[in-house]
Parts: sequence; structure tokens; C-alpha cells
Amino acid sequence: MAKILIPTPLRQFAGGNDAVEVSGATVGEILDQLTTTHPDLRKNLFNDEGKLRSFVNVYLNDEDIRYLSKTATAAKDSDTISIVPSIAGGR
Amino acid sequence: MIRIDKAAWDVMVAHARAAYPRECCGAMLGVEADGGRHVMEARPMRNAFEGAQEDTYQLDPAEQLQVEKEARAKGMSVMGIFHSHPDCDAYFSKRDLENSCPWYSFVVLSVKNGEFDHANSFLPNFDQTEAPKETLEYQQ
Repeated sequence: MAKILIPTPLRQFAGGNDAVEVSGATVGEILDQLTTTHPDLRKNLFNDEGKLRSFVNVYLNDEDIRYLSKTATAAKDSDTISIVPSIAGGR
Repeated sequence: MIRIDKAAWDVMVAHARAAYPRECCGAMLGVEADGGRHVMEARPMRNAFEGAQEDTYQLDPAEQLQVEKEARAKGMSVMGIFHSHPDCDAYFSKRDLENSCPWYSFVVLSVKNGEFDHANSFLPNFDQTEAPKETLEYQQ
């Protein structure tokens, strides 16, 4: 099973866990399984259309999945998935 | 409420002054405590915006990932993000709001004529439509 690292503010929606191991052949399947097991995570990660929210970046090990095959990116049991918010701004 | 230790605060102010007149950015590392956030370390980060940085900042997601890993290794977490507003007040702008994330505290440092002036912390909501102020405590 791949390991998903849960950012601190989201741990309250993931049973208090800082990491969760989830089965799935692709990053999308793994995120679906994660948010099925922990449904309160879903609205944090996905919009009403079921797409990843604009401020959510997902990394497979050290690679941003936007530059791989997005949620269709294949994942192995030894992989680690990280959730990193996209942040910018200005006066 | 967010409380920032002096060592972390000094790093944040030094980064904001060094970047002036450009905007700086970085991460605040610490723990959740007493229903609030306690920041023990600050990590200056690269302003990844490829344009005029006098009024814009952008975090580098790859660097964020590294900072997240560092924080975990130290038993801490990213509690929030800081950035500076050169020669204007420490408000949360429309662009700050539209490019924020509801998971963190956002500290804005006002730097006027190259020197720290004042700061505020904000908590953006989930829909990125409001960011109420939160109590900010720091030691200068």
C-alpha cells in the first residue's frame, strides 16, 4: 500500500493520523480510497465537480503529479504521496 | 491565536528586510498548543514569482515539500506562511485571499522604508472569500 502523508491541519479529518496507507493502482484511486475511508477529507481536497481543488498540489515521492499523468499517475506500494497547498499573493 | 518565538520572529523580520523592496515569503514551523499555534522556527523561502516581486510572491511547491519533510523530522509541522508587504500596511489583499489556503495561518509583515513596521495574522476561509484576523503574539 502507498503511504499518504497528511498535513497537520487535515489530520483531524483523517482520524488524527499523520500518515495513512491506502491501496490503489493510481494516485487518483488512492485519493478516492483515502476520501472514502475519511469522507471529511473530501471537501478539503476535491471541489463539487470531483476535481482536485485549485490550491491542492499532489506529489508522488518528489514529483508533482501535474507533470506526470495527473491523477492517472501509476503508484507502487513503496511510493509516498504528499499533499502540498499552492500559495501565492501580493499587495 | 498564533504565538511566535523570538528566534523565529527575528528570522521572519530579517528575511522581510533583506528582500525589501521585494516581497519575501517563508514558512512557520511549530506545534498546535492550547487551542492555538506555537511557532518555534521560521524558514525563509524563495519567492518563485517570475515577474515584479515588489507586489507579488509565490511559494515554490517543491521547496514547500522539503520544508514539510524537515518539519516532520523535527517533530513539528508547518503552522503557517508569512510574507511581506513593502511600503504598505499588513492587510490581507484580494490576491492574498484568492491564492490562499484554509489550512494555515497567514502572517503579513509591513516593511516601510526598509524597516519592519507592524504585522497581522489572518485565517482564510475555505471558499477564499474572507480572512478574519487572528491574535498574533511575538517578541521583538
